[in-house]
Amino acid sequence: MKPPSPFLFALYRGSLRLFPGHLRLRYQDQLLQTALDAHRDSTSRLRFWPSLFADLIQSAVKEHLLMIRDQVIARPIFFHALTIGLILTVMGGAASLTFQQMLRRGANQPQMQMARVYASRIVRGVKPDEAFPRNYVDMEHSLEPFTIFYDERGTPVTATGYLNQTIPTPPPGVFNYLRSHTIDTVTWQPQPNVRIATVILRIAGPNPGFLLTGRSLLLVEQQESLFWRMVFIGWFVLVFLLIAGAALLNRFQSRNLSLT
Amino acid sequence: MPTDRTTHPEDYLPLSPAVFAILLALAGGEKHGYAIMKEAAEPAGGAVKMGPGTLYGSIDRMIRDQLVEETGFTDDARRRYYRITDFGHLVFAAELSRIGNVVRAARSKALLKGARA
Repeated sequence: MKPPSPFLFALYRGSLRLFPGHLRLRYQDQLLQTALDAHRDSTSRLRFWPSLFADLIQSAVKEHLLMIRDQVIARPIFFHALTIGLILTVMGGAASLTFQQMLRRGANQPQMQMARVYASRIVRGVKPDEAFPRNYVDMEHSLEPFTIFYDERGTPVTATGYLNQTIPTPPPGVFNYLRSHTIDTVTWQPQPNVRIATVILRIAGPNPGFLLTGRSLLLVEQQESLFWRMVFIGWFVLVFLLIAGAALLNRFQSRNLSLT
Repeated sequence: MPTDRTTHPEDYLPLSPAVFAILLALAGGEKHGYAIMKEAAEPAGGAVKMGPGTLYGSIDRMIRDQLVEETGFTDDARRRYYRITDFGHLVFAAELSRIGNVVRAARSKALLKGARA
């Protein structure tokens, strides 16, 4: 019989590849013949092809899911290993993320303390350039914390932190945010490869402006990198042990079955 | 699969609409795939509209469960005939009995108004 709508029929025949291999090999000819018979008797060609393809996709998905289920039932040890692996991955991932956040938040702690002490001095009337110890911190290379005071317009007034021998200024958005808030903590990247954990306070009183305390994130990021490397290695070892354990158990079970 | 002799027909219940319709169609005699599909779509066949994918997926599982089998007869290289097995008859009878009980229970609760007792 000449196939109806050769293009659609060829597309249907090609789409049979969506079925699991064993099913396609066994029923391909019958599927095509049944589709031809159904097409011959169909009253609406417009409805026939969409419903045929919808059936194909729906049943192909179903057959794949059933095949996976059958394989899982046939190898329960691997199923349990997979479940344990997933649970440990999710729990380990959540714990690692929490630890990483704690590490990152910890990077703000000295600056937070410094900012509060210096801010209270400035609010009490101490001039900004006398409010904190004079120092020179090269932001690009030093891990030491530093302080910068900006006036109300965001212009640097005095500082202990310098980048390329000048006082850098954060993006204007940081100051805009602080005009309606008292404190902000941001990761500031004044130039590539220089990332700073900063705490910025809005200062009111006789010397209004913004007080920024910061510290290079280099050390924290190295710790984070090392931490994630260890997490990945730990996860990899865990997965390997689970797979190896499951394979050994499976082999042991198969041997026991063959002896009985 | 009933190769395990402890398997009972009741273990297969309730049947899915597709499996029920296929067994119903084959209860009347051997049929090829499209004939099963056509009969299943009729009101007396359960009004189950299924495409070729659903049909042969169900038939494949039913063969594995030994509910149906190929007759070995073909009227065309592509048309193969299927028949219900003895075990398939048992499962079908068990499903009819189950449905009968449900219908009786529904009647006793007057859920099937107008239906004859």
